[in-house]
Amino acid sequence: MLLRAIFACLLALAQNAFAVSTISISADTITNDNAVVRSANILVDLKAQTTYTIKAQHIQYDKLEARNANVFLDYRGKPTLTFDTDLKQSSDKAWAKAQMHCLVPANLMQEVWQCNDGKFTAERINLPFALEVTPQPKGFAANINLQSANFSDEAGLHAAEKLTGHLTVVAKQEGDTLHFNSALNWQSGEVFWQPLYFANGGHELQAAGSLKGDILTLDNATLKLDKVGDLKFSGQVDTKTFKIQKLNADLPNLNLAEAYPLLFKPFLGKTMLNNAELDGKAALNVSVVDSQIKTFKISLKDANIDDKNHKFAFYNVNADIPWSYDAATKVSFSYNNGQLLNMPLGRTNIGAEVNRYSLVSPSIELPILDGAFKLSDISAAYINDNWYWHLRAALTPVSMPDASRAFKLPTMQGKASAEIPLVTYSGGILTTDGEMVLNVFDGTATVSQLTMQNPLGDSPKLSADLVLRNLDMGSLTRTFSFGAIEGKLDGDVLGLELLNWKPVKMDAKLQSSPGNYLKKISQRAVENISSLGGAGAAAAVQRSVLRFFKEFNYEKMGLSCILRNNVCEMSGIESTPGGYVIVKGSGIPAITVLGYNQTVGWSELVDRIKRVIEGNTKLIVK
Amino acid sequence: MKKFLLSLLVIVSIFTANWVAAAADLEVNTPAISALKASMQARHSQLGPFYSSGAVGLTKDAFIAIKDATAVPLKDRGGFNSLVSAENADRTNLYKEIATANGHPEWQGDIQNTFAGRWIDKAQSGWFYQSGGGWVKK
Repeated sequence: MLLRAIFACLLALAQNAFAVSTISISADTITNDNAVVRSANILVDLKAQTTYTIKAQHIQYDKLEARNANVFLDYRGKPTLTFDTDLKQSSDKAWAKAQMHCLVPANLMQEVWQCNDGKFTAERINLPFALEVTPQPKGFAANINLQSANFSDEAGLHAAEKLTGHLTVVAKQEGDTLHFNSALNWQSGEVFWQPLYFANGGHELQAAGSLKGDILTLDNATLKLDKVGDLKFSGQVDTKTFKIQKLNADLPNLNLAEAYPLLFKPFLGKTMLNNAELDGKAALNVSVVDSQIKTFKISLKDANIDDKNHKFAFYNVNADIPWSYDAATKVSFSYNNGQLLNMPLGRTNIGAEVNRYSLVSPSIELPILDGAFKLSDISAAYINDNWYWHLRAALTPVSMPDASRAFKLPTMQGKASAEIPLVTYSGGILTTDGEMVLNVFDGTATVSQLTMQNPLGDSPKLSADLVLRNLDMGSLTRTFSFGAIEGKLDGDVLGLELLNWKPVKMDAKLQSSPGNYLKKISQRAVENISSLGGAGAAAAVQRSVLRFFKEFNYEKMGLSCILRNNVCEMSGIESTPGGYVIVKGSGIPAITVLGYNQTVGWSELVDRIKRVIEGNTKLIVK
Repeated sequence: MKKFLLSLLVIVSIFTANWVAAAADLEVNTPAISALKASMQARHSQLGPFYSSGAVGLTKDAFIAIKDATAVPLKDRGGFNSLVSAENADRTNLYKEIATANGHPEWQGDIQNTFAGRWIDKAQSGWFYQSGGGWVKK
């Protein structure tokens, strides 16, 4: 108020022809409401035309501080107003600089104020701008142009470079309500707003609404994201608490290929979806009342989801997922084909009923190779940010030759099938009750006590017991190019733990099955088994004898490994002083293979097995 | 005399036992530790340029911290931030796992302190590390 009075006084002076050439007013302190001005100096130069110079060393207004403020009003030609000042919030340490140069219109309250060369600079901020403001009854209309602006916060988490854009605002006060209509056009420049990054402009935001007290109402707003889609929304938010009182948002046509890297990926952090490629279309609709989602609907149309780490892929995904806080809904999800951990998936249709935070479905069939995973009695619930589910699962026979090809394993014969009465998932851990029986190599492999932790995540963990019975060693050794052995094999791999699909702990024991059957071992297999035992191992027959016989009879063979901390503690079927027996011969010539390495590093053992298999493969190629 | 010798022996053995226990094996290897080391090794090639440019530095508590994000172009900044937090998460787990593998989870803090010095010793010249209240270029 006081400042206005001084101005009025000065203007009055200027218009009357006083015989004074300059007027200077100084004040130590001027206080008015929340404003305190210190060391102010007003100089009116009345020679020729008039200029007004107003200087203040320090101004405090609410939580804003200014120092070295200069205002220069020049009536000599076209009236202009120039000001510059240092500015800061009282709580800040560093000062920013603001400057502006405006043409003063003849009619101050009705005509446009044109301000160019506006600049706001601080340590990490440089905002050159131009401004046009037209006062209107109880409001104003403003145009702001930002030219190649840069800013960054101290941590560099919110920053823009070469930002050029345009903002128009029309505002009008009616009673206690401020009505506005604004449009923001981000033309060019890059922005990083942790964790989002926009490489370029082309985006627009239009919003019309009102502000009454702390309540911001948007009657109608549109966010156009270049190449991604248009989001229309309206609602009400408390600007003090940021609580959404009401929101309706509609995104009818989202381009997934563009939206995924721009909007989704930055939020997917360490989840399994963080390194995928998406395309296709999606539609999203959501309504919120009192900060609580009331309904939403997600639709996917011919979407493809491809994990770049090749852990999973789903093609031609179509989904219709409505959800309501108040009512049960039916959701559907289908894909044409895909793969999960290299296992090919066939066409699948999933239907389920969703009731707030729980889901039930009588059955889901997931075709895999020539068989299918049949899930039934499925129920899932989302409680306290965690998923819990249980279901019954069965694997109808899958051909092992196909499965081994899919898993890039040597071709195995037989079929695999399984029946799991109960699969539960709780606290990120998948547990199975019951057994999975695989019929392989004319024998059986039974997996039980299977549990898994984040199978698709960064460090998948698996634990299980594996029991092998009566595998045909003939086809086993042929499959893995080990050198021929005739006979049957039993195995018990108990307490097996895999981390990143690599064994880290187990009590494994492989040995010839009990019973009467043909037991023959080839010269090559003897050599290979010896080399598994390491440098110290030796076949207890002379090389010369080995050379004469292509195969030998054996009575029993076996090897076990107790794996702890990357070290395998080895033993055989019998102990000998300083070693153990791996193959115990029978008949003439009797052959005995001994092992002397009591402990072997796991990676060393794996290398030895690889060398044996690769060595033999080469031999066959020759 | 015999009694004295026996008690001396007991005392000596207690001290020896303590002395052995007090030296943590920092090179201890478990599957979890080797998985963490492999993950950090794989990340190191990505972090290398950021150490050299001074965007990131070694902290005195054995972590890494963003020193000057503006040295990283805007388009790489999101990835850079995630690299730093992933590295620090691995480091926390590494210290914890080494303490656990030594049979003394309560040693985590001491192990972390020892690593702080090790990381700085191993750092290439030109990299930044925290010393006193500020950053020092090695």
